[in-house]
Amino acid sequence: MHRARQARGADVPAREPTHLIHETLHGILASVAWPAAIATAWVVGELAYRLLSLPRISSYGIAGFAMAASQGGFLDNPSGTPVALLAHFAFGLILFELGYRINLRWLRVNPWLAITGVAEAGGSFAAVFILAQAFALPMVPSLLLAALAMATSPAAVLRVANELQSSGQVTERLFHLTACNCVLSLFVFKAVVGYWVLASAGSAFEAVWNSLVVIGVSVAIGAAFGVAVPALLRQLGRIDRNATVAFAAAALLLTAVTHAFKFSPLLAALAFGLVARHRRAILSQAQRNFGTLGDLLTVLLFVFIAASLDWQQVRNGLTLALAVIALRLAVKMAATTLFARPSGITWRKGALTGLAMTPMSGLVIVLLEQTRHLKLYALDQVAGLAAIVLLLEVIGPILTRQALVWAGETHPREGR
Amino acid sequence: MALNAFKASEPLSMGIELELQLVNWTDFDLSGSASDLLHLLGHRTFPGDVKPEITESMIEISTAVHHSHAELLAQLRNIRDALVRSGDRLNVAVCGGGTHPFQRWSERRIFPNPRFNQLSTLYGYLAKQFTVFGQHIHIGCASANEALYLLHALNRYVPHFIALSASSPFFQGVDTQFDSARLNSVFAFPLSGRAPLIFDWREFAEHYFAKMEKTGVVKSMKDFYWDIRPKPEYGTIELRVCDTPLTVDRAAALAAYLQALCRMFLQRDEAPPVEDDYLVYNYNRFQACRFGLDGVLVHPKSNASQLLRDDILATLVRLEPHAAALDSVAALDQLRHEVIGEGNHASLLRQHFANAGSVQGVVDAAVTLFRRGRSR
Repeated sequence: MHRARQARGADVPAREPTHLIHETLHGILASVAWPAAIATAWVVGELAYRLLSLPRISSYGIAGFAMAASQGGFLDNPSGTPVALLAHFAFGLILFELGYRINLRWLRVNPWLAITGVAEAGGSFAAVFILAQAFALPMVPSLLLAALAMATSPAAVLRVANELQSSGQVTERLFHLTACNCVLSLFVFKAVVGYWVLASAGSAFEAVWNSLVVIGVSVAIGAAFGVAVPALLRQLGRIDRNATVAFAAAALLLTAVTHAFKFSPLLAALAFGLVARHRRAILSQAQRNFGTLGDLLTVLLFVFIAASLDWQQVRNGLTLALAVIALRLAVKMAATTLFARPSGITWRKGALTGLAMTPMSGLVIVLLEQTRHLKLYALDQVAGLAAIVLLLEVIGPILTRQALVWAGETHPREGR
Repeated sequence: MALNAFKASEPLSMGIELELQLVNWTDFDLSGSASDLLHLLGHRTFPGDVKPEITESMIEISTAVHHSHAELLAQLRNIRDALVRSGDRLNVAVCGGGTHPFQRWSERRIFPNPRFNQLSTLYGYLAKQFTVFGQHIHIGCASANEALYLLHALNRYVPHFIALSASSPFFQGVDTQFDSARLNSVFAFPLSGRAPLIFDWREFAEHYFAKMEKTGVVKSMKDFYWDIRPKPEYGTIELRVCDTPLTVDRAAALAAYLQALCRMFLQRDEAPPVEDDYLVYNYNRFQACRFGLDGVLVHPKSNASQLLRDDILATLVRLEPHAAALDSVAALDQLRHEVIGEGNHASLLRQHFANAGSVQGVVDAAVTLFRRGRSR
């Protein structure tokens, strides 16, 4: 003890005072970096929204990417930091809301919609897998890319739809098909991970654990929350005011718990929303997006997504990325158009639904971040993925918005 | 354009138009789905007629011309079932009720067609605030003069229809303390209220309407938002004060009540209507909107005050022979039960609010009630 103090005492004068100042400054700057980035992104978002009428979340992404250290900015890669956990929480809230908006009865009454969902997700998987193989990608990266390409990012579609206060068939179908393809994508992704674990580590136990058990337990925890929270609210009575806070707090807890035990916070949050809805606790419209809390976390989420990307990764496989984006869009639009009439809407609205489903960035980044413990560095290993994420982070919301506007489902004067 | 000639129709025939709400299943707010639903309905045979209304969250259905309550009710139930089925295919819920309890009028989208766009430009926010839902009942008249007579003979009974149909206690998220808040939205229009007391169609068409048209204020009968107006193209009078009830059964019963009243008037047993009857008209109307069946009416002839509830019960007794002749005893029994026992739909909605604790719960209950058909 004494010696230690002595040693430190001896150490201090040896340091240059400027060095100390530099270190302190660095620490302060690091702690200010994220709040500053959020504020900057917000300003950029508002300006671009007003001047270029760009969807806000697209601008958050551009700002986040520009501010990232790998592009010479001041934001260190947030992977594995508390900021990442906060972003997961933000995404959890969005998935909860998406799950909450899903009416399972609709899929039963109108089976063509369920068929559309399976067809567009399955088609995207098959098409992207074949394309990746044609680009001579190895087996596992091809499978991972194909699995991720199935999904539409719930964060982008919900934010854009809420920003435009849109309602109608394209909006409703967009939500339901997004929920469907997210679930299918997560299942296939976990299966691929299971396969990959089996192939690389040769451990059948680990393979099953990382796929089946993770899926089952995550859904079960989410469902348990979906039963417990509405029950608790009913016990307390007069739920209309407090419900938002209660659901947000529960989503935070759920994200933290599933993350700590390395289950899937995504599946859990989706299951939570879905079960809570069908337990009939009704949220009011003012609580869409989780109000101001949701708005703030969205800025953080989209900055986080883009800040995880490195220009070097983006440049690798740009051609593949463009091919995947085009093919995926074509498959999704073909499926939604093909089944439009049987499921009760016009060809045109069907095609627009497919167009609106373009975004995929948010889910990819959050999902990969949550499987870090598997040492699966897909952004490095899967060529084209980073470029897809960056391109769709910007283009995806723009296409979603355009599709909703063309469908005539938005409010003529944009709110908020 | 002069007023259309009044096309005579079968006396005491009846038809109903109902403006219905389209709501989403998630938070029960209004959903801009009229275009989608009409597109889907356009592909199949629909057991009635269906039209868009001014905003994307409303549709209007109408029945054919009927003579008996039973036929009318059967068609309304078929229409309801077809609507519910199509709504289910699009994840849209359909319900009755005179107002949506918590929709924000500023969030409504005007249905894209020239007339609605023009109305929206003229009336501004009134047009969107007019996202309220009414039931219109048509009664066929043998001649134009008979129509004008019936229209004015009904003046004293207008509050009955308001109170019996009232289903709009909640508006913009709060309990207005009115049983029918919807009619307050209608009052805001400059050409609302009562028709002028004219019994002769020629005088009505050539003097009143022609003069009004010359002022440039109106172009057709559609521009009048009167409580009761003649509809020359159909050869009917149209009663427009009713809120859309929560069930089609209640809607059919109200039509049968009007039919029986008209049969009674045609026997000319009652003292004929005079201008002074209208001295108490707006006051009685307010009582019915505000207090529903508990309102107090002032009799226009005797100036005696009476509970609306009692006045309806007394009228139902007087209508018994007419109901028997028209085969609508069951419908009038249903109304009697409403007055004595269960109360109107406004009080039912308030009960659901008390149970559910939220306005969303109120719409949830309205949706279930519309699908199931009966309130119990």
